[in-house]
Amino acid sequence: MQRQGTTPPLFRRGPPAEVRLAVLVVLSLALLLVDARMRVLEPVRQLVAIALYPFQRAVMAPRDLAQQIDEWVNAANLIRSENEALQRQRIELAQVTTHAAQLAAENAQLRRLLGVADQAPQPATVVEVLYEPADAFQQRLVFNKGRKAGLAAGMPVIDEGGVVGQIVRVTPMTAEAALVTDERVSIPVQVLRNGLRLIAFGANTPGTIEVRYLAANADIREGDTIVTSGVGGLFPAGLPVARITAVERDTSSGFARALAEPLAHPERYRHFLVLQADVAQAELDKQEADLGGPQ
Amino acid sequence: MDRSNPPARPRLGPPANVHPERLAHPAHGAFVWGSLLGVWLLSLLPWRQWPASPDVLALVIAFWCAHEPRRVGLVTAFVFGLLLDVHDAGLLGGHALAYTLVAYGSVALHRRLQRFELWSQAMHMLPVFLLSQFVSQIMLAWLAGRWPGWDWALGALLTVAIWPMVGWVLLLPQRHPDDVESSAG
Repeated sequence: MQRQGTTPPLFRRGPPAEVRLAVLVVLSLALLLVDARMRVLEPVRQLVAIALYPFQRAVMAPRDLAQQIDEWVNAANLIRSENEALQRQRIELAQVTTHAAQLAAENAQLRRLLGVADQAPQPATVVEVLYEPADAFQQRLVFNKGRKAGLAAGMPVIDEGGVVGQIVRVTPMTAEAALVTDERVSIPVQVLRNGLRLIAFGANTPGTIEVRYLAANADIREGDTIVTSGVGGLFPAGLPVARITAVERDTSSGFARALAEPLAHPERYRHFLVLQADVAQAELDKQEADLGGPQ
Repeated sequence: MDRSNPPARPRLGPPANVHPERLAHPAHGAFVWGSLLGVWLLSLLPWRQWPASPDVLALVIAFWCAHEPRRVGLVTAFVFGLLLDVHDAGLLGGHALAYTLVAYGSVALHRRLQRFELWSQAMHMLPVFLLSQFVSQIMLAWLAGRWPGWDWALGALLTVAIWPMVGWVLLLPQRHPDDVESSAG
């Protein structure tokens, strides 16, 4: 009974603070280096993430509830404005649809004639943003579905504007996506106007994509729309990615660089679509290409 | 009229902002860990997206390192840092490094800090918060290959600015021994 309230002796006779400091600082530095260079720490991160998940959900619950109440209270207004937008869209799309149907039929016929295999339609999953991690070094979103819903690293994320980003890490219940503006994302794209194939990189500032490694005389100008080219197998062809805002031509190096503004708006919406691309197949294709590449 | 003026302040002795008799009551363990857990849960909310937001979790860890160095120490700081690293989807060890350094600064200064009132404590902690964040940001910037700007420094300043307020709240139960008694029972 008398021991109640006293601290356990472990804390009184532990190693001095300097020793603990040295050990922990070395440990954190080692973690930083290993995590930045290798993927060995993924299991540790997964374990901690799974342990964190219930707390994250519990903390976010009041916010989600407030949002739901807000949506419920404003339901009439929301539906009216949405209805107007949809009506307008319907009229605009009606013409395009008939035209597209005609083109699709024609395309299918031509493909059959040429013997080109049809692209299988990809299944998709709707995900909702769980939270936006606070990190000055990267642009990420965390979604509320993970491996259990069939998501895997590498799958593209889209919204109605176009490509939002790519899943980079999954836990059983959550998935982490890097936005197209994150510097670790690169997407094979082409210019819609002339079919010029390029690679788009995240410039790591909100709202900027960079198109690098252009020949200085490449036919690309301000206002061009770039769409996914389908090269690489992960991103299906034809998804809008960005609109070119500036082209910098450097005659001394012989290369040009274009800056673009993404067409998707991840900051405005909470729901996105993850295309369940065949990640394993794309990886296999890449390996084959790598093996066959150098001759 | 009362003419008996109080005697002039002696020039020697502790300065006006030092109160050696204060805080004789130790904090209740449940309160210490409860406040840490609460602030950690608060840190999972999206308000930290502003790059210069004050780091309340680091503040509370540092505060308990200074006032209850036997309960809260470097290992606690490291573990909470690691949890935050996973939540923020950043490199493992970034927050852990900063928090460990803050905790060490706080533990190293704890005898001195306990003698001062809260604003003076905040002034003592300013270099600790700035330096620890700086070391962590230098490491992250080196690994990422670019400098993230100085928002984190503003964050450290804001953290120090709210130290007196947070400290006042955390010291409340110790100011009223009756409350501690009733919560202990």
